[in-house]
Amino acid sequence: MIQITPQNIRMWSLLGSCGAFGAAAESVVQENSNIVMLTADLCSFAGLSRFSKMYPDNFFNVGIAEQNMVGVAGGMAKEGLIPFVTTYATFASMRALDQIKVNMGYMKLPVKLVGMTAGLSVGILGATHISIEDIAAIRSIPNICILSPADSLETVKCVEAAVQIAGPVYLRLSGSMNNPPVYKADYDFVAGKAITLKDGEDITIIATGTMVHNSLRAAKLLEEKGISAKVVNMHTLKPLDVDAVKSACSSKMIITVEEHSVIGGLGGAVAEVLAGIEKKPEHLIIGVSDSYKPAGEYKYLLEQYGLLPEQIAEKIEQNYKK
Amino acid sequence: MTTLEAYTKAFTDTFGITDEEAKNLKFQDIKAWDSVGHMGLIAAIEEAFDIMMETDDIVDLSSFDKGKEILKKYDVEID
Repeated sequence: MIQITPQNIRMWSLLGSCGAFGAAAESVVQENSNIVMLTADLCSFAGLSRFSKMYPDNFFNVGIAEQNMVGVAGGMAKEGLIPFVTTYATFASMRALDQIKVNMGYMKLPVKLVGMTAGLSVGILGATHISIEDIAAIRSIPNICILSPADSLETVKCVEAAVQIAGPVYLRLSGSMNNPPVYKADYDFVAGKAITLKDGEDITIIATGTMVHNSLRAAKLLEEKGISAKVVNMHTLKPLDVDAVKSACSSKMIITVEEHSVIGGLGGAVAEVLAGIEKKPEHLIIGVSDSYKPAGEYKYLLEQYGLLPEQIAEKIEQNYKK
Repeated sequence: MTTLEAYTKAFTDTFGITDEEAKNLKFQDIKAWDSVGHMGLIAAIEEAFDIMMETDDIVDLSSFDKGKEILKKYDVEID
C-alpha cells in the first residue's frame, strides 16, 4: 500500500504526473505481480526507469510501435495480466485508436492505457505532440472508463483505482513536472464520483486535470469580484457523474474548464447531460479553442488559449449575468 | 537535533545509507540517488527545515556539500 504522507505528496508533485505514475507503478506491482508495464520507447519519460530495473519481468519496451503495443497488451490482458500501456497521450489515443476500439472497447479487455503529457505541456514539440483531442476520441468508444487526475496525488490514486476497475481504462495525465498540488492530504477517491473542492452560491465550475487547480485560483479571483463559485473536480470523465451535473443546475451558470479541445471533452460530456434536463442554466465551455497554434512553452500555450487562472476568471466574469 | 543532524537524516532516510556514507555523497553515486530519489531527497529536506525550494536550487543540489551551500539562501545554516 502506497504511503500518503506530506513528504510523498510533495515528492510526487515535484516529479509531475508521469513521475507520480512511475512511483505508483512500483507500489501496485508489489501487491499484484500480474501487473505489467509497457512502453513505446519512453521508459524514463513514463517514470518507469526504476520499475524496469526492479521488475524486469514485468516491464516491456515494445519500441516506437504504439498500435502494436495496444495489441500486445490486449493479448496479455486476455491471458490474465493487467497491462498498463504508456506513451504520449496523442500517440496513445490517435495513432492506436483502432486497436483501442477493438481490444479495449469491443473486447473489453482490461488494458490500462496511460496517456502522458495530455493537453499542452509538451507544446514546445508542436502540434504533433500536444494532445487536445484524446478525450473526444476515446470517449466516443463504448466501455472505456476515462480518468483525468487533478494533481500528482490523484494520479497515484487513479493508478490504484485503474487496477481495481475490471475493464479497460484510459488514464489521462496532464501537467508537467512541479505540478501544483490540489490535494495536500489524503482523501477518499471513488472513480465516477466527482469531488466538490469549494462551495459557492452563484456559479459552478466543473473542471478536470490541471484545470482544477487553475479553476480554484480563478474562483478565488471571482470571489474578490463578488461572484461566489463552487468548484467541482470531475476526475472521471466516463462514466460521468451525472448527479454532480444535475446538482450544478441549481447554480446561475455552469462553467466547464479543461486542457482539451472545447469539442468532445468535459464540456461536451456535460452538455450531453444538460441536453436532457429541462431547466438548466447557461453553460460556458472553456478549453482549447478549435485550432492548432504554433509550438511554444507550456505556460505560453496556456496563455494563448486563455487557460491561466486570471483569464478563466475574466471569461467567466464577462459571461456571468447576475 | 542540530541542523547538520537533520540535514544528514534527510539523506540517510531517503537513501537508506549511513551518516558516514552521506557526507561525501554526490548525485548518482548510488543507485537510490536517481531522478526519483532526488525528488524524494528534496521533499525530505523541505520537510526537515519547513522550506519550499525554488526549481533552480532543486536542480543544482547535486551533492551533500552543495546542498549545504544552497540552504543558506533559505536562512538554514548547516552546522
